Amino acid sequence: MKRQRLHFKLLFLMMAALFALLAAFGAYSVLTYGNRWFASNRNPRVRAQKEAVIAGDILDRQGTVLATTAADGTRVYQSREAARRAVVHMVGDPQGQVSTGVETFQTSYLYGFQASFTEILRTLLSGESRRGDSVTLTADSRLCTAIVSSFDGHSASYGKRGAAVVLNYRTGELLAEISLPNFDPNRVSEIEATAEGQPFWNRATQSVYPPGSTFKTITEAAALRNLEHIDAFSFVCGETPLVAAGHEISDYGGGAHGALDLTGAYARSCNKAFASLALQIGQKRLLQTAEEAGFNDNFLFRDLVVENSRFPVTAADDWELAASGFGQSSVAASPLHMCMIAGAVANGGVMMEPRLLRQVTSPTGRVRLRYTSQVYRTAFSPEIAQRLKSDMRQVVTNGTGRAASVNGVTVCGKTGTADSTENGQPIAYGWFIGFADEPDLPFACAVLVEDIGEKTSGGAAAAPIAADIFLWLRQHQGEIVDAESIH
Amino acid sequence: MTRHQPSRRLHRAASKLSAVVMLFYFSAFLLLGLKDFAWQAFALALAVPAMIWLGTNFLPRLFPADTLLLSLTNFLCALGVLVLYDTNPTYAYHQAVYYAVGLVAMVCCVWGVRAVRRWGPAVFMLLPVSLALLVLPLIYGKETYGATNWIYIGNLSAQPSELVKVSLILIVSYFMSRRLFIPWLLFAVACLGILMLQRDLGTALLYYGVTLLLYFASSGNLLMTGVGLVGGAGAAVLGYRMFAHVKKRVALWRNPWADYENAGYQIVQGLMALASGGLIGVGLGLGSPRTIPVYHTDYIFAVICEQFGLIFGLCVLAMYLAILWRGSTIAMAARHAFHGLVAMGATLMIGLQTFVIIGGVIKLIPLTGVTMPFVSYGGSSLLSSMALIGLIQGVASINEDDLREDLRLATDGEEAFE
Repeated sequence: MKRQRLHFKLLFLMMAALFALLAAFGAYSVLTYGNRWFASNRNPRVRAQKEAVIAGDILDRQGTVLATTAADGTRVYQSREAARRAVVHMVGDPQGQVSTGVETFQTSYLYGFQASFTEILRTLLSGESRRGDSVTLTADSRLCTAIVSSFDGHSASYGKRGAAVVLNYRTGELLAEISLPNFDPNRVSEIEATAEGQPFWNRATQSVYPPGSTFKTITEAAALRNLEHIDAFSFVCGETPLVAAGHEISDYGGGAHGALDLTGAYARSCNKAFASLALQIGQKRLLQTAEEAGFNDNFLFRDLVVENSRFPVTAADDWELAASGFGQSSVAASPLHMCMIAGAVANGGVMMEPRLLRQVTSPTGRVRLRYTSQVYRTAFSPEIAQRLKSDMRQVVTNGTGRAASVNGVTVCGKTGTADSTENGQPIAYGWFIGFADEPDLPFACAVLVEDIGEKTSGGAAAAPIAADIFLWLRQHQGEIVDAESIH
Repeated sequence: MTRHQPSRRLHRAASKLSAVVMLFYFSAFLLLGLKDFAWQAFALALAVPAMIWLGTNFLPRLFPADTLLLSLTNFLCALGVLVLYDTNPTYAYHQAVYYAVGLVAMVCCVWGVRAVRRWGPAVFMLLPVSLALLVLPLIYGKETYGATNWIYIGNLSAQPSELVKVSLILIVSYFMSRRLFIPWLLFAVACLGILMLQRDLGTALLYYGVTLLLYFASSGNLLMTGVGLVGGAGAAVLGYRMFAHVKKRVALWRNPWADYENAGYQIVQGLMALASGGLIGVGLGLGSPRTIPVYHTDYIFAVICEQFGLIFGLCVLAMYLAILWRGSTIAMAARHAFHGLVAMGATLMIGLQTFVIIGGVIKLIPLTGVTMPFVSYGGSSLLSSMALIGLIQGVASINEDDLREDLRLATDGEEAFE
């Protein structure tokens, strides 16, 4: 009997532990994922509220109205078609086809779900219709438009699908986010969800691509951290391909780079050198550096829905590890995440949480919420970030990224040309990630151009767009940088 | 008074609590009644507090009861009626009747536990009846939600596996208290086999969990319990391989959004309900909980969270935990192995069932179609939950009788000594 009592006690404690697990898991998931579950155009509660509440406005950082509600209740976007198309993936559309747009993801503010009891009572008593909160974004819609026209202004990217992200690497504020092809939100009902090029898809945050040579930034960071004699690293890149586990590794264009040190290998983007570096670093340590930079993490940013980036947890053979070293195998990242990596290099290794909301204003003009900057994680040590920065400068001054250089801006960056397959066809993605190493211009960008063709590289297709971005930033410097973000 | 018994202070607190609870339900139904001036709501505003009074304050006059356990049970039953009235009034009227019948069933079980002195013959009568009841749906039943576990007689329908829960606990406890291992095993395998044939895997999981844990409680044999656990895991893997609907449930648990429009609809709607409630809920009578399929049984916890909020949801969890605490305390105070096992078995049944369904709703584990004890809509379910509480209360009253007897003997002894 005495032992039976002890067992009863144990069983009760076991049940109590199970219930504690229930409570902890339930509270954690609702608090963490609540808004992600709620803010969906599939949520019938939102549809019901849309009939009863006049949605708030969406403004950009200059106060330009990106979306408002007309007297008859329909959503009205900017009058210039080019302008409303450029921001459509960021802002969203009236039907919620862009499932991660502000129109959908900020439903709880725009449709007044966050209104306090007294606010609801006041509108009830006054007999007016209820209004939702207005949302001010950190983005500048002019820059979005400029990037889209830059895509069309260069022959290598003209008419291509792609994406670009610009963010302030000191604050994490998103200044621009575009995805091509885009569409006109006023005509959303005329477009099929399966239309050519999937125009509803936000390629900047919802797609992950092989990062190609831009990933060499991570590999170099892992080498600097883990390999003892890395300063004495030298590699002779000859005509013959490197062979790992029966696969040949060659360079873009098939040429030979000759004798290279680490900086030279990075600046000229030598795949063979980085494949051999990856093999020296080893799977475990490369994975560690990649994960510190945010790969394989569950991105749960406050106001952005971002597809998680992937780095293989195990390598089947040397070939896979070597290919991971230059961003192939199954490595994948979104343009936003690659932009965050460039920003972390510029910001002394500290990666800021990307954010899109600047403030939320109630219908009566009260500021309901003002967003603050938060550190997402420390990706690199300050010393490694410094070294990466100077090597990224070499890429732009005398490496593969010369097309990104701009007069009057110290542009640093990395190009990439990634191979993949789409619907069974080989496809090449052109990348450029980079930043302005200027205290008064703390911006990083990532540009991705899809299907650039056999003869073009990321340096030729994506870097010129980055140059246009940095030029625009320099020209509008006074209007886009907050005093607080200059150190 | 030993430490296993609730103190007098706890008793007084419990009866004060019931006054607050009655007031809460009175005003809640009144509020809902003011929405559309339906007389049924006003009737419930009087009937539900009356039943709470009967269940919490009157019943202890019939037998020595654990009042805290009574108050918690009655609060949860009334919560079910309240939430159902808001979503579907017809269900609420039925549920109120089931609640009343449940109280009677509870008293019957208390009486049964107190009256039966020789459990051997009783168990050998219960055993064939239980197995026969379990087999019935295979002959007369219809398939609902992938399982064949209901029988229909005219307009009435019942789920025998719910009612057999009560006899299962009595039979298993009897076998274990007598160390009758082989009959225990045969009975457990027979029950589980029938439930597998009905493809009622949620109930099978509960039966399996309770029989195994009662075996552990009685024997303390960790090795054999481990073997049982491994066997259960093997059966789960086999079930996953064999039944398409199990495979589908597991896939939906892992990503309900993948097939949002069809199979994942219920889980996703449940999550949206949880999220829209936030911390303090949208308020009684508000929100759109009816968009969740099967909101009245499996998903009633999501409805509660949408209307009353996450904090209240956690409080409901704490109430279940308090029920488990009272149940296991009563089991520990029992003087006979059989009584202890009965009280613990009933407690485990309620606890596991709550864990399985709430865990499914919040997506901690794959969803299995069991009801939330006391709260979910359904006569069989409410009746069996109340009967389980009746078993615990019966043991509690026997404990109390034993204590009084001790006290009497002790004082008699003192008098004699003087």
